[in-house]
Amino acid sequence: MLLIFKAYLSKAGHEVVTAIDGMAGLEKVAAFGPELIILDVNMPRMSGFEMAKQLKETEATKDIPIFIMTSLKQEANIKKGYDLGIEEYITKPTNIEHLKLKINKFLERKKTC
Amino acid sequence: MLDQLTHSPHFYHYLYLAVAFLAAFNILEVLFLLVHKTRMERNEIRKEALKRRVSTAIVTVTDPAEILPEPSDYVEYAAYSEAISSVLESFEGELAQRASGLVRKLGIDSYYRSMARDAVWYKRASAIDTLSAFRLPHNREFFLAVFRSEASADVRYRIVFGLSLLARGSEDIVAISKALSSLPYLTAKYTEDIFFNIITALKLAGKEEDFGKFLTAIMNDASIRPLIKRDCIAACHAAACERAATVVKRYFLTFKHEPEILIACVRSLVRMGNFDVIHEALFHPDWRVRLTGLKYAHLSKDDLLKDLKRLLHDSNYHIRVNAGQALARLGAPGAQALREAAGADDKFAAEAAAYALTLAEAAR
Repeated sequence: MLLIFKAYLSKAGHEVVTAIDGMAGLEKVAAFGPELIILDVNMPRMSGFEMAKQLKETEATKDIPIFIMTSLKQEANIKKGYDLGIEEYITKPTNIEHLKLKINKFLERKKTC
Repeated sequence: MLDQLTHSPHFYHYLYLAVAFLAAFNILEVLFLLVHKTRMERNEIRKEALKRRVSTAIVTVTDPAEILPEPSDYVEYAAYSEAISSVLESFEGELAQRASGLVRKLGIDSYYRSMARDAVWYKRASAIDTLSAFRLPHNREFFLAVFRSEASADVRYRIVFGLSLLARGSEDIVAISKALSSLPYLTAKYTEDIFFNIITALKLAGKEEDFGKFLTAIMNDASIRPLIKRDCIAACHAAACERAATVVKRYFLTFKHEPEILIACVRSLVRMGNFDVIHEALFHPDWRVRLTGLKYAHLSKDDLLKDLKRLLHDSNYHIRVNAGQALARLGAPGAQALREAAGADDKFAAEAAAYALTLAEAAR
């Protein structure tokens, strides 16, 4: 999925940085300061929920929009995601075109603010 | 014998020969392992590079089969199938269509179809798993044919799972249910997953109501075990099969003496927005049904205050504790009831109420 995202969003003109797990993700966020973060939930070492929690609790990263994209469709997980303060909870399979539109909209809104 | 050997003038020759042989064997073994490891690592690198190439082609080219070569060996087929499965699992729409097209155009499904007839069972199982991940409708007939001739139970489970991903209507549900019945044993999770896949596939095909018809058909069928009926309803809950709400309600009214079915019914109906069953569940003689009702009591439109207060005095510990927490979720009137119960003579009810008040306080 990482490969697909990277290829697709790069083609759409975005600069994409990927990480294979939550710990590496936090390091990349600190190093690159992204405008938007897309997370999976099931990741090695640190889950997407834990990573989102840490990002939303940190002053420097709490305003970065987070999208969680996962195959976990249970209501409890969706609620957990939104309770952590994430912006979008997207379940797989998803339409990447729609996802691109959402990403663009979020980034535009962020620039306007 | 040993004496003869040690006193033999050739003893040391034999000994040197044996040591040399063992040393040579060890060296060859280490060399073999090193070569094998290098080969595996090279294959893995080749596979990863190819997966990246296939993924990029699916994203960037309208017809990726035009620029990708046909896979030629096991590693290449594995790379193609993993890349394609990953796309199909995560994406729908145009990307999924391109990935599916690649499977047909490059003959990837033919390769795995022939592997599904291999003499070795784990190769057959692996081939069925891969074919299932492709979710190609034309594999339905193939799966059914392979199922009829397959001897290994491990492979048969996988075939039924693959079939469940391809369900397109009532006929398929019946065929899958028959296949399920022929398996040696079933776990709740496996059966629920099968029916979850069926509902999801039916939803995609715009035939969600077919699952409701199937539930109606098996309701009074004694040949279908109650636990399978329970798993069907549990799958309705997991897949939010709202078109089956009326049938699930009928199950709730019919299977009064099957607690496991009732629990599945309450969960499903609540998820579908039907909260009427909660009140009735609180009165069921089986504590597990009462417990399920308590978990959702705060959602009920009925005034449950009196019933929840009564359940604080239930003979079952789990019911008392959960009745306390259900009262706490009701807000001010529930909290007032808990404070009253905390000072009551029934020490079990008082403990449950005090515990619920402590939890509510901590949550604030």
